[in-house]
Amino acid sequence: MELLRVIDGEGRPLREAPCTDEDARALLERMIFLRAFDERAVALQRQGRIGTYAPYRGMEACQAGAASALSPEDWLLPTYRDHGAAMIHGLPVEEALAYWAGRVESYRAPAEVNVFPPAVPIATQIPHAAGIGWGLRRAGSAAAVLCFFGDGATSEGDFHEGINFAGVFRAPVVFFCQNNGYAISVPFSRQTAAASIAVRAAGYGIAGERVDGNDALAVLDAVRRALQRAREGGGPTLIEALTYRVGPHTTSDDPSRYRDPEEAQRLALGDPLERLRRYLAGRGAWDEADEARAQEAARARVAAAVRAVEAMAPPDPADIFAHVYGAEPLFFQEQRRRFLAELESAARPGAGGPAARGPAPGGAAGGPAVRTEGGGR
Amino acid sequence: MTRPKRSDKKGETRLDRTTALDLYTRMVRIRQFEEKAARLYEQGLLPGFLHSSVGQEAVAVGVCGALRKDDYITSTHRGHGHIIAKGAGLDRMFAELYGRETGFNRGLGGSMHIMDFELGVLGANGIVGAGIPIAAGAGLSIQLRGTDQVAVAFFGDGAINTGAFHEGINLAAIWDLPCVFVCENNLYAESTPQEYVLRIPALTERARGYGIPGELVDGNDLVAVYDAARRAVERARAGKGPTLLECRTYRWYGHYIGDPAVYRPQEEVEYWKARDPIPRFEAWMKEHVGFDDADREAVWQAVAAEVEAAVKFAEESPLTPVEAALDCVYS
Ligand SMILES: Cc1ncc(C[n+]2csc(CCOP(=O)(O)OP(=O)(O)O)c2C)c(N)n1
Ligand SMILES: Cc1ncc(C[n+]2csc(CCOP(=O)(O)OP(=O)(O)O)c2C)c(N)n1
Ligand SMILES: [Mg+2]
Ligand SMILES: [Mg+2]
Repeated sequence: MELLRVIDGEGRPLREAPCTDEDARALLERMIFLRAFDERAVALQRQGRIGTYAPYRGMEACQAGAASALSPEDWLLPTYRDHGAAMIHGLPVEEALAYWAGRVESYRAPAEVNVFPPAVPIATQIPHAAGIGWGLRRAGSAAAVLCFFGDGATSEGDFHEGINFAGVFRAPVVFFCQNNGYAISVPFSRQTAAASIAVRAAGYGIAGERVDGNDALAVLDAVRRALQRAREGGGPTLIEALTYRVGPHTTSDDPSRYRDPEEAQRLALGDPLERLRRYLAGRGAWDEADEARAQEAARARVAAAVRAVEAMAPPDPADIFAHVYGAEPLFFQEQRRRFLAELESAARPGAGGPAARGPAPGGAAGGPAVRTEGGGR
Repeated sequence: MTRPKRSDKKGETRLDRTTALDLYTRMVRIRQFEEKAARLYEQGLLPGFLHSSVGQEAVAVGVCGALRKDDYITSTHRGHGHIIAKGAGLDRMFAELYGRETGFNRGLGGSMHIMDFELGVLGANGIVGAGIPIAAGAGLSIQLRGTDQVAVAFFGDGAINTGAFHEGINLAAIWDLPCVFVCENNLYAESTPQEYVLRIPALTERARGYGIPGELVDGNDLVAVYDAARRAVERARAGKGPTLLECRTYRWYGHYIGDPAVYRPQEEVEYWKARDPIPRFEAWMKEHVGFDDADREAVWQAVAAEVEAAVKFAEESPLTPVEAALDCVYS
């Protein structure tokens, strides 16, 4: 299947751009912001200021390019790695950051922002997208749905059931697969024996397309056309965007254990920011002053979000019990009661609470019980 | 709709007379078993549900005819035909349907859960699509043990949109497992016509999405099924990976015995009855290996006697005691 590219690895145009220079500049500014957020988040995790983090470095053209094709009334269904796209579609930056800080009160989209919570179980958002799209169509809405997922998700039954359903019921959904080469440590070559993900579209009787996922203009073009088709009743599209996960799966992962560090160079997809930058510079539409301004704006926006998240009141340990059940069963209420009682007894100075039996230093002396490892069970 | 492949006049396969008669007999055994079971069920003599495969015999026999005894199959809720085609005795089949001690599974499984490892039957299955990953698992075990067996999954058109289909076939494709995936497309899943849940003209469109070959076959043409199955089985045995076969066929009865099947037009049923796989194969045999009314009579009478004896065997076998009901739930 043909691979759609608008600019080559050096940012030289290969075909007519799908947007004006002004739009392309805005796209680059978004990508610069996304990169700044991602770099800062990794740094915060290393400093112990947020929890485990899943970086999207190298995938900014997919994140910003696809989300920039959306209209405000369209719905976005992200995975854990797509908070970049979510922020482009309007999720407040501090909401995204608070999520990675492990806060219950996070990833809250304002009423006018149609962003779903991130799917952490692989591929569950695909049947959700089919259902939302079908619902929109039945309600006569002009809105469409953009559903993100990874190459690993394509081997899940949910992928198959969701896409078939959307195809049969002509749901206005764009299924956007970021093929970043890996599902944690499993390379794409072990994910399917087929030549590509996009060829599967034929098996569902829907449109399929393959794009260079590090070419923001190609991604924008493909997703825009697919959304248009969806709105016109032409049914769903399966888009496979070829990209690369430059960083680890998450900050808890060490990719050098399963992949060759030279591999990224061999793939020659190029850095998505650099490619768009060169394209615009070649047209005289981007210079060092633009770059400096965009970098500064991005840093300031991220810094404001960091301040906002760090100014939040400390989390309540009981939060882990929130939103688990609508009607809480008795055993669950009992679990919470015991958990809180243990925390309390561990916090009492000199009390022989569970923390005193734990291996962590300071437990018996009434250290910060919540952080004490081995304290509770 | 894409047109399925039929065996051409030349006949790709040189079926000798003995093999042809064997395959023919297997179809007749299935037909008579199913008809007898339906009558017994209508009289209230068999517990549970009964899904008849009358009309679909050529798929079961064409595929199992291409297998060895030590090859594996997984089957469905409509599985009597597959299991008989794989060599099951009608006596233990009936005993299982009757809930007797002498049944294949002590009468604990019933119609939808017959299994027999000695015959390579890894189980009929009441869960739509569930046999597909089981066959992939059997394929993996074959590969790990280094034997040249093959694992076949039979499933209906209702299974092809389940996640199990996707996951099972994708794994078999990635690992080049010695599997054959056989879809018996009888155009309905319960009352749901296929075009209601599928946007493609043929299932073979999906094979490319897994990087494996796919073939569309006239499932009422025994020779066409047998040929296609032989190609797929040879490929699997040679370590070249799985194949997806779609066999178009039709169930004469409703979804279950007693289903009034108001969701389908009578003309459609007549159309398919006129394409009964058994007389079609008789005509083929007449032309290619010799077959006459006397041959026909001999087979039908012998099978009728077998059915009668099998029912007697089942009826005279002891009922499985209620206390045994939980015996085989956990190992
Ligand atoms: C159903 C399910 N199985 C397994 C996991 C564990 N898991 C978390 S991320 C991941 C890999 C997903 O890979 P991919 O879909 O390619 O997305 P990527 O991480 O590359 O963005 C797995 C297997 C999970 N979260 N959910
Ligand atoms: C997972 C699951 N869902 C639903 C059912 C209920 N059910 C029993 S048979 C059937 C239809 C199966 O149709 P098909 O696969 O075409 O087989 P056929 O009955 O036509 O042989 C359904 C939906 C089930 N047994 N298992
Ligand atoms: Mg991936
Ligand atoms: Mg069916």
